[in-house]
Amino acid sequence: MKLFTKLTLFITLSKLAIVALFVWLLPFLVNRIAFQYNDYYLKMQKKKVLQVIGKSGIDAYLQGEPSYGSYTMLKEEYISLEPAGKIPVPDTITTQQRVVEGDTLTYRVLSYTFRDHQHSYMLEIGKTTASIGQYNQPLQRVALYVLIALIVSTIVLDFIYTRLLLRPLSAIIHKRLQQAKFPFKEIPPPLQTTTTDFRYLDDALTALMGQVREAFEKEREFTANASHELMTPIGILQHKMENLLIEELPEATEKRIMDMMKTLQRLKKIVHSLLLISRIENNQFPLSDSFAVSGLVTEVREELEHRLVEQQLSFRMQLPGKAVLTSLNHDLIFQLVYNLLNNAIRYNKPGGAIIVSETNLPGKPYQLHIRDTGIGIPKEALGSIFQRFKKVEKKENEGYGLGLSIAHTIAKYHDIEISVASTPGEGTVFTLTFPGEAQRLP
Amino acid sequence: MKVLIVEDERSMAAEIEAFLTKAQYSCDLAFTAREGLEKIEDNAYNFILLDLGLPDKDGLMLLKEARKSCPDAACIILSARGQLEDRIKGLDLGADDYLPKPFSLLELQARMQAVLRRKFGMQDATIVIGDFKVDLQKRTVSCNDEADIALSKKEFDLLSYLLLHKNRPVTRMQLSEHIWGGFADDDYDSNYIDVHIKNIRKKLSARAPVDWLQTVRSVGYKVKI
Repeated sequence: MKLFTKLTLFITLSKLAIVALFVWLLPFLVNRIAFQYNDYYLKMQKKKVLQVIGKSGIDAYLQGEPSYGSYTMLKEEYISLEPAGKIPVPDTITTQQRVVEGDTLTYRVLSYTFRDHQHSYMLEIGKTTASIGQYNQPLQRVALYVLIALIVSTIVLDFIYTRLLLRPLSAIIHKRLQQAKFPFKEIPPPLQTTTTDFRYLDDALTALMGQVREAFEKEREFTANASHELMTPIGILQHKMENLLIEELPEATEKRIMDMMKTLQRLKKIVHSLLLISRIENNQFPLSDSFAVSGLVTEVREELEHRLVEQQLSFRMQLPGKAVLTSLNHDLIFQLVYNLLNNAIRYNKPGGAIIVSETNLPGKPYQLHIRDTGIGIPKEALGSIFQRFKKVEKKENEGYGLGLSIAHTIAKYHDIEISVASTPGEGTVFTLTFPGEAQRLP
Repeated sequence: MKVLIVEDERSMAAEIEAFLTKAQYSCDLAFTAREGLEKIEDNAYNFILLDLGLPDKDGLMLLKEARKSCPDAACIILSARGQLEDRIKGLDLGADDYLPKPFSLLELQARMQAVLRRKFGMQDATIVIGDFKVDLQKRTVSCNDEADIALSKKEFDLLSYLLLHKNRPVTRMQLSEHIWGGFADDDYDSNYIDVHIKNIRKKLSARAPVDWLQTVRSVGYKVKI
């Protein structure tokens, strides 16, 4: 999930959670505040009553009667003053039921006992609980509305600001990571941002890409130099031998020169192969070609025709799918198929067969199979055939053990999976699994 | 035919010179780009063989200069750097061919002949050998003005390569490298060259004797005139 999405989700959810908690607590809180305020109100009323008694004497209320009581119109509040019993009652504020003129009502009642001129009196001030909570509902509603408005506006603000804040990050991801192609020949200009973290990230990535490019260039230079240093002496030797052969020489000497030339040729091949592997591993081949598989196999087959004829091998190409592969290097894939077919010829039996087929299903990676009816590969050798300088079996026309190693390097470079299955004495199948589905020739 | 060899490896330059002198070219040597430039200004060459990895200057620079002061000269780049870009750049700058090192001297001569034919059309395109007439331009072989003898592409290539290097033994390796280029594989002992030669002999000897096409024991083949 993208950072921006995560942040937005978090902000929204956390705010919603807080709102939910608040909504859940609100009735309780409002109720509590109303009750506390009411208790305070009752105490204030008591104070007023006592002040009146202090100033005008208790008769201001009793007016000669033994007790005093008064209600408001709707019996929401009452006050009563009565002589208290002998047993002292503690002063309390409690919620009690009172029967007033036949109605049973729930009151919040303040009871207070005091003495006045050797008489004990009990003062009660009550207020119905219904009237205490009468403003709770509208209060809650208003609080809720205000809260929702606030939350929505902060979420919108957060959303806008996060977006603005993270814009450089998406620019870095897009320009530095998604668009940049190895070996980073063009590095886009530095990012404009005031966020130091992003500035740092961008600079670090740019520096890293620069280093990669430098290392790549160095490797490339090295391969070019190594190639030059190795090929020049080989060339000189070859020329000397060729010039020698022009002379009239005894047959035995000619034969020796021939042997030397063969050895030199072998050296040349090995150096060529190693340089090729090194070039591939240094990514010096662009992966920008598209071609039809059957066309490529036909090309390779033409190159090898003389050897097929020589070994009397039948060649069958079963590629009906008209598959086209993309993002590859034509020369390298040619070499890959060439090496595998060459192998299929070299380790075949006279009169044997080579079959090139495909597995081309929609939505599945494209597979090319190269099957031969040759001598096969012993089980214990299967694991090491792609290693450099490994030979399957001694044979007269021995290769140098680099053909399959090159094939493997090329396959790896293209993300092609190369696998082999073999039955000794019956034949071998090499399977190339390409990274994607093949396209179709129109 | 005047050839300038620009090559900093002296012993390689000497071998090329020895080979080309035998093939009736007259050669000048230059071991640095500076020397090469001087010689180009002072002489009119038909051919410049140019190594790219020179000690003082890049060979491609020299190629540019040569285009100006010696516009008629054909130029073949000899390079051991083996980079595709060098090849493309060289050909873009007007080189006529590109030969990666190490190359066979026979291949060099064949390429030079091809360039001459292509560029100046000055080579005699028909070679008469025995009772046969080989037309290198039309790629046909005929005998006593009768109908052409049908040779496959590879057979014709082999025959013309041997004819070009007449009176010289040509090894199977050199032949297969010429025909199959970089894909000539490691199986030089295999007899596919012999198979082709046998076919050529069979097709030609149906019309007239081909005793000029000789087998050189343990080496290869030779056209003897």
